[in-house]
Amino acid sequence: MQDRSVLITGCGIVSAIGQDCGQVLDSLLKVRTGVGPLKYLKTGHTEFPVGEVKLSDEEMERMMGIVPGTPTTRTALMGMIALHEALGEAGLNAQDLKECGFVNGTTVGGMDKSEQYYLDFIGNDSRNAYINTHDCGSCSEMIADRFGRFRIITTISTACSSAANAIEMAADMIRLGEADIVVAGGSECITKFHLNGFNSLMILDHSQCRPFDAERAGLNLGEGAAFVVLEEAGHAAARNAKALARLSGYGNACDAFHQTASSPDGEGAYLAMTKALKEAGLKPVDIDYVNAHGTGTPNNDESESQAMKRLFGSSMPPVSSTKSMTGHTTSASGAIETVICILALRNGFIPVNYAFEHPMENGIVPNMDLNEGCRLRHVLCNSFGFGGNDSSLVISAAE
Amino acid sequence: MERKPIKILSAKQISIQAPLSEEWMDNPLNYSEDYVRAVDPDFKQFISAGDARRMGKLLKRALATSLSALQEGGIDNPDAIITGTGFGSIENTELFLDALVREGEQLLKPTQFMQSTHNTASSLIGIHTHCHGYNSTYSQKGFSFDSALYDAWMQFRIGRIRSALVGSHDEMSPVFSGFVRKAGHVKEGEICSEAAVSVLLAESGDAYCTLDGVRLVDTPSADDLKAIVAEFTASGIDAVMTGRSGNSENDSWYGFLDSFLPGIPQLLYKPLFGVNFSSSATGFYAAACCMRDGRVPSVLSVSGKPVECSKGILVVNVVEGRHYSFSLLKPVCGR
Repeated sequence: MQDRSVLITGCGIVSAIGQDCGQVLDSLLKVRTGVGPLKYLKTGHTEFPVGEVKLSDEEMERMMGIVPGTPTTRTALMGMIALHEALGEAGLNAQDLKECGFVNGTTVGGMDKSEQYYLDFIGNDSRNAYINTHDCGSCSEMIADRFGRFRIITTISTACSSAANAIEMAADMIRLGEADIVVAGGSECITKFHLNGFNSLMILDHSQCRPFDAERAGLNLGEGAAFVVLEEAGHAAARNAKALARLSGYGNACDAFHQTASSPDGEGAYLAMTKALKEAGLKPVDIDYVNAHGTGTPNNDESESQAMKRLFGSSMPPVSSTKSMTGHTTSASGAIETVICILALRNGFIPVNYAFEHPMENGIVPNMDLNEGCRLRHVLCNSFGFGGNDSSLVISAAE
Repeated sequence: MERKPIKILSAKQISIQAPLSEEWMDNPLNYSEDYVRAVDPDFKQFISAGDARRMGKLLKRALATSLSALQEGGIDNPDAIITGTGFGSIENTELFLDALVREGEQLLKPTQFMQSTHNTASSLIGIHTHCHGYNSTYSQKGFSFDSALYDAWMQFRIGRIRSALVGSHDEMSPVFSGFVRKAGHVKEGEICSEAAVSVLLAESGDAYCTLDGVRLVDTPSADDLKAIVAEFTASGIDAVMTGRSGNSENDSWYGFLDSFLPGIPQLLYKPLFGVNFSSSATGFYAAACCMRDGRVPSVLSVSGKPVECSKGILVVNVVEGRHYSFSLLKPVCGR
């Protein structure tokens, strides 16, 4: 197969630490957490801090020029904001999209409206339009259709690795010549449904989450969306599109251990990282930074630590979990953290693992120093999901 | 570079027809109801009673069709497990949602939440078969199986895998069957049904047929469709498997086949298997069975006459008049 290398020529993000790349960069450099008391979600569980996007649905509708009353969902609205930024940066218009693919990652989909209107769905016809926004696929269509018609649309739903797997599929499409440009990422809003779900699994921290800390007590749920424009190198050069970074390798593996727990030795995580490095043609020592999955749950951080120790041995690169600032944005996290990695590569710094204090026994000690002015060449971005759906991306500086 | 053909080694279904069998080819079950649940096999041969108690219907069916397909194909550890589902385990999702809405945010069950996540089937199969390889799940309404098959096709072409278990699984609760009617996912005259289908693909082994191409396209122009149909039928086909159901809106999406493939028999699977988000997988399965037997049973053909099957079948799925998928099944060389 001829080599078709995959560049990133646009990215867009909305999260608890900022509503575009500039704001997110500022928060990362000032080490400012977006996790705080609940404001937008209507739930009785106000005891849990969350990483909400600091916008109401109505504010997002106005930003996107959506006519009030048009059926939409919070996941779709956040996705539109991030996609708008990504397409703008890559200089793509509606006409261009006819030749592009779109791969979205989501799991919650339109559950925010379903949990609000469920009794109407059963009892009357007043909210039927929102039945059509319930499923994951309709969410991708709402996001994409706001900007035109893509040539292929599909949706990946592998829980918390959904967006990472969407980026992997998109890259495969480019490498095989199925398309020259594929936009990929993910979107997920906080709902009562999964806040309560994670609570029923007893993995939510009642205070600010502390990934990789000995006293960590769970995750903080976050929300947001991010998309990257993946483009074949020759195609980008021909239209003078600026490369922000290069996707040099990626790996997907299954832990095949348990539906909601990671194996003690982090086999799936280890395999995903190993495959990603192999595809990139790199050795562990070439990796300058790892953006860990690092949810803050006792189980994930232990398992991921073991996997990284197996892979990197004594030459552990700086590692941090930016979920300490964004919260765990679940299906969107792979894309949100990909954009964070791109910001780190382009601006020469290493994101800090906010709120870390106490090293865990046999764990890794996360990065606490921004190292501003450093030169990063290759970074690894981990996304692991329920069911052991583990994925890793290698993102490299654009030459 | 010469590419190895991708073979379909086995295909298994649990649906509203007799489970894990091709009994439907000659003795189909007929229904007058507009909502029919799948006919379940005895799961004991696949799953221990203890495990089965913790699993919803979708998971049990997904595991049974998967293990059955792997067994027939003689592969224990496929290199990839790729699954489609429109709604995932909707019964457990509904139980969790219903309790949340009616009883409030207390005493909710983690098992229900865990199963509400769409990738539970793919993960379960991975856990059960100890497969650490590529594992992914697609959820794009009635286009979920098509997306999963397309991914598998790419994984082979990129040279990452030599075998893949591709499936699509959807269950339908009474409450959500009402919702999908209201939303128009299942239309007038169509049976709202359930389906679990698993297909084993590999580069070597005794096969039903080969998979010669997979193409997805959103909102194609008439010229795009003409070009794709010409490309996929260049080496000749016996029939085209369509998602026509008898509903006029749905059937109008397949009108291009009348124009571009005049004289080619069109086959219908939706009257037999009903309509759900995994419907297109039942069509693909039915086409693979026809290729295996070298004949299309009369129950699938519009004319009611059997069709000979020696050159190939093009499987076409159109969802909501915008998502189009094409997959081409051809006979194994030398057979």
